[in-house]
Amino acid sequence: MGRAGISAFVAFAVGLLTLLSLLLGDNPALFGGQPGSEVLAERLALPGDVLLRLVVIVVALSIVIGIANLLYVHVGRVARGKFYSAVLLASFAFTIYWYVTNRGDSSLLEAAQVPIESALASLLFFSLVYGGARVMRKRADIWGLLFVAVVIIVLLGSLPLAELAPVKAWSDWLMAVPVSAGARAILLGIALGTVVAGVRAMLGQDRSYRG
Amino acid sequence: MDETTVQVYSVLFVMATVLLVFTARFFQKRPGRRRAQRQLDGLERITGWTTQSIESNRPLHLSFGGAAIGGDKTPAALAEAELFHQVIKRANAGDIAPILSMSAPVMIPLGQDTLRRAWHKGDGASRVIWYPPNLAYAGAVTASMADDKPAAHIMAGGFGIELALMLDGADRQGHPSLAVSDRLDGQAVAYALADHVLIGEELFVASGAVSEEGRGRNDAAVLDVWRGLIILGATVFLLLEFSSQLPLLTWQLAAAGAAVLIALGAVMYRRR
Repeated sequence: MGRAGISAFVAFAVGLLTLLSLLLGDNPALFGGQPGSEVLAERLALPGDVLLRLVVIVVALSIVIGIANLLYVHVGRVARGKFYSAVLLASFAFTIYWYVTNRGDSSLLEAAQVPIESALASLLFFSLVYGGARVMRKRADIWGLLFVAVVIIVLLGSLPLAELAPVKAWSDWLMAVPVSAGARAILLGIALGTVVAGVRAMLGQDRSYRG
Repeated sequence: MDETTVQVYSVLFVMATVLLVFTARFFQKRPGRRRAQRQLDGLERITGWTTQSIESNRPLHLSFGGAAIGGDKTPAALAEAELFHQVIKRANAGDIAPILSMSAPVMIPLGQDTLRRAWHKGDGASRVIWYPPNLAYAGAVTASMADDKPAAHIMAGGFGIELALMLDGADRQGHPSLAVSDRLDGQAVAYALADHVLIGEELFVASGAVSEEGRGRNDAAVLDVWRGLIILGATVFLLLEFSSQLPLLTWQLAAAGAAVLIALGAVMYRRR
């Protein structure tokens, strides 16, 4: 068995163990409520719990990898004369210095991070409106027209004006029936795709396990 | 439905999916039974974008967004990595490696692994870039567009409405874009602002549409079977519901109607 075969086998074994542990563990009723079924269910749940806790620890540690990656990439870019990367590295160094010299002081976060993110959120509003206006240019067909019509009806329906009560009824119906049905269909498609891709990964067929 | 029943159905569903995956593999290996996959407009553009990237010596930007392994979105993240693998392979004739960006640090190893497998010219580590999540990610990607001047943006991952900033930035720079999100808000933004869009499960079959390799196509076949069964089940239940309300429509008539619909569907499928 080559390296790829071992990887696939480990992936399959761990995947199957976790799946069975999550599906069968912690539910004694599955074993007919016989004496000892609670202990059996707890034992079945144990591997899944342990593996999921390991995942949480790995995810928490990965933030260190993220910061190291950020520094590595932007140091290389500064060497190529990229101005924004220099600003990023200077901000990083200043934030570390600030935290060390003013321990517990969150004023830098409140004075810089929060206003910048708020400004971006405001810009986002304009991007969305501009994008909505551009839909008919990108999609000059019946579906683009339908998209714009629904957006206009829903926006008008959300206005607190008594004259727009019929539009509000239309808007409520649109949100409750076609929009809800469409959203569920998209989510159902994603869920099916997730199961199929998950099964493929569990069977060790994913590229990551193929060496 | 009690918890035990749900668990039993879940096990049966997963086992049936495993069976379907192996069945699809079996048929895919037989040349005469190989199944052609429906072409998707956005994915057909990828060939042109990779050619443009090679000729203009500008990188492609491949974005995972907030997709992450280790949670319930792991399969989606793996499907995105597979799509990016196929795209990078196509761009392999060029001199400049694609840029992979992500906002989940756990995706850095997967991103580097994807680049290492498909791009055989080194320079992998500096082309995989992590930025902090949400608006900070969108701001950083938008700012780096001016520096990197990507030939095109393929944004397939977990995005919310912050995707609007990136797509707007790409449009202002004149960069073409393809977007898909596994979140509904991001999907709506992608539909409105991206030049090309994939919807829902199309993300999971995208790698099969980009490459001739069979695995993505197997997934597409299995998805089609499940989708067909769900539509059939929903139709039958709807007809049965009607049959209990209308005196003329009995459940036998509803079942006969469903059988006719299945037969018609099968005939149309064979003709296509």
